Amino acid sequence: MPLDPKDPPRQLGGELVIPVLAVAFTLYYFSSIWNSPWTAQVSAFMVGGILLLVCAMFFLRAILWLSRGQASLGFGNLFSIEDLRTGRIGLIATTVAFCVFIDQLGFTLTTFLFLALSMIILSKGKSPLLIVAISAVMALGGWAVFIWAFDTRFPRGWFEGVMQAVIANG
Amino acid sequence: MGDTATILTEVFFETISFWWVIVPTIFLGLIVGGIPGFSAANTIIILMPLTLSMSLETGLIFMVSLYCSARMGAGIPAILVNIPGTAGAAATPLDGYPMTKQGKGQQALAMTFVASSLGGLLTTIIALAAMPLLARVGFYMHSVEMIVVMLFGISLIASIAAQDMLKGLIAGFLGLMIGSIGTDVVYATPRGTFGFLELYDGVPLIPALVGLFAVSEAFMIIEKRLIITEDAQKAMARPSWHATFEGVGIAFKRWWHITWTSLIGLVIGVIPGAGASIASFVAYQQSRSFSKTPEKYGTGHPEGLIAPESANNGVTSGTLVPLLVLGIPGGATAAIMLVVMQFHGVSFGPSLFEESPKVGYGMFMAMAVSYFLMILTILPLSRYMSRVTTVPTIYLAPMIISFTLVGAFVPREYMFDMYLALAFGILGYIARRTGYHVAAILIGVILGPLLERYFLWSLKKSDGDISILFSSTLGNILWVGLVLSLIVPIWLDMRRKKNAQKDQEEIPIQ
Repeated sequence: MPLDPKDPPRQLGGELVIPVLAVAFTLYYFSSIWNSPWTAQVSAFMVGGILLLVCAMFFLRAILWLSRGQASLGFGNLFSIEDLRTGRIGLIATTVAFCVFIDQLGFTLTTFLFLALSMIILSKGKSPLLIVAISAVMALGGWAVFIWAFDTRFPRGWFEGVMQAVIANG
Repeated sequence: MGDTATILTEVFFETISFWWVIVPTIFLGLIVGGIPGFSAANTIIILMPLTLSMSLETGLIFMVSLYCSARMGAGIPAILVNIPGTAGAAATPLDGYPMTKQGKGQQALAMTFVASSLGGLLTTIIALAAMPLLARVGFYMHSVEMIVVMLFGISLIASIAAQDMLKGLIAGFLGLMIGSIGTDVVYATPRGTFGFLELYDGVPLIPALVGLFAVSEAFMIIEKRLIITEDAQKAMARPSWHATFEGVGIAFKRWWHITWTSLIGLVIGVIPGAGASIASFVAYQQSRSFSKTPEKYGTGHPEGLIAPESANNGVTSGTLVPLLVLGIPGGATAAIMLVVMQFHGVSFGPSLFEESPKVGYGMFMAMAVSYFLMILTILPLSRYMSRVTTVPTIYLAPMIISFTLVGAFVPREYMFDMYLALAFGILGYIARRTGYHVAAILIGVILGPLLERYFLWSLKKSDGDISILFSSTLGNILWVGLVLSLIVPIWLDMRRKKNAQKDQEEIPIQ
């Protein structure tokens, strides 16, 4: 059946990620309760059973669409060159780095570095001075409100240590 | 009766004289309510030394105002940037955010402020008048009845799934499975925890909320220069008070909608253990079920915004009823209030209103006065708050990520929770890109563990006999209500379509 170029087939690869994850997680969950008392199993087997059934129906529908040529296994709706161009991949990478380094560097410094780096990536290097100023104000504002004023247990590093010593010694 | 009226009048004027405590607390509450992780309960705990050093009156007024304003504050980021500040505001972005994207952020904020304040004020007055009656609700609501209440909320998944039923159900049931992570409530058997001790208590709600809504939304919004459309941006370049008044007008026109959805919140609020998240989902679902235009829900429909906001503020007054009348805190904030009151030597239960009537009535009065002052102080700000949407996404997205991820850390202070929020963020991002509804996943994560708990308690009581689910009169009435609320909208929809078809057939062909 010739495909209409104006109506390209639906890209199903991306849409299959969530059901595949759901099936994998449900099977792992079942394995973790296999030898448990019934109280731990009853609700999970009911919910998990329905989830597996619904996923199976989704896979069947996908196979039907694929066989009719109405869909392809492409991942275009999940990954595309736009993700690199817009800086999304860079933002995801800096977010992972933010989580990894905040415990060592503390809230203020990590927030400043994360904001500055992410904004520079997203703006493709435009207005670096403005970005550094915004990042510094946001990070210091966060420190002043959450650590200095509210005394929350945000992750602390050398900046927070130095500021604590400065404030304690007047 | 005469004595009570005198006490209430006295308490009213005394509470009004504390405006200097209430007004700054309202602003504090709006800020902490708007940042995920900084709920009213957490802030009161952080400020506990300050609260305990205050007089009993001042301390209670401070806590009550913070509680009310934080509840309202949670809706602001939900509307403007699709990030609910607390789980209680998780149903707010369903219609609030589409309004913002259409350039109606200011209108939506005004609407939510009026709905929250009116809903809160109305339910406070009703709670004050019907306290003994409401206090009995908790006695009648057992695990069986609670299962049906949970199902009222969970049935929202089916509505969300309407566009693609399979995808909606996969998202909802995946959420329910994720919500089942942790130890079971009877024998504490760990399930699906991947070996992480941090998951033994179940999946914490704030990291799930932060990841599914805030982080994934931040990854999505960078595709466009601004959150709002080009047309909306042009309209916002000429800010005026008109949109605020328009929002106020829309909300007042729907006064009946505010009334009945806030009453749902009040009734759910008086049940110990139930909370704002259940109330807002149930109210949204019921609002949609009995609407003449259910197809408009999820596209920026005013009633879809008013319902969850009125309901979650109705919960606020409801939680005070079991606390004051029975001494049972209905939620985390009420539990902290209990600690502060006990510190000051106040006794609870029916004797409270005989021994210290000013404290008992004073808390409700503080709530009423807070809601009244809130509408006066916040409404003018809607014009300026909505300007957040004009900040370019290259600045907004990293700010959202950094502050909400740290917010995920705050409630339990585990670094693990930040990684969990990131994992939920990636799951939410994949879901959004591939057409799965993150709200359906979140409903499952929030309500799943509660449903399982009540289900297991029921089965345990009946030695595994499933017929216990239909053993109580109130439970059976609720079952009928649930079935009707699912069937009637379908019947109404069919009738509407039939009438429309009939009308079309009757139009003479020219």
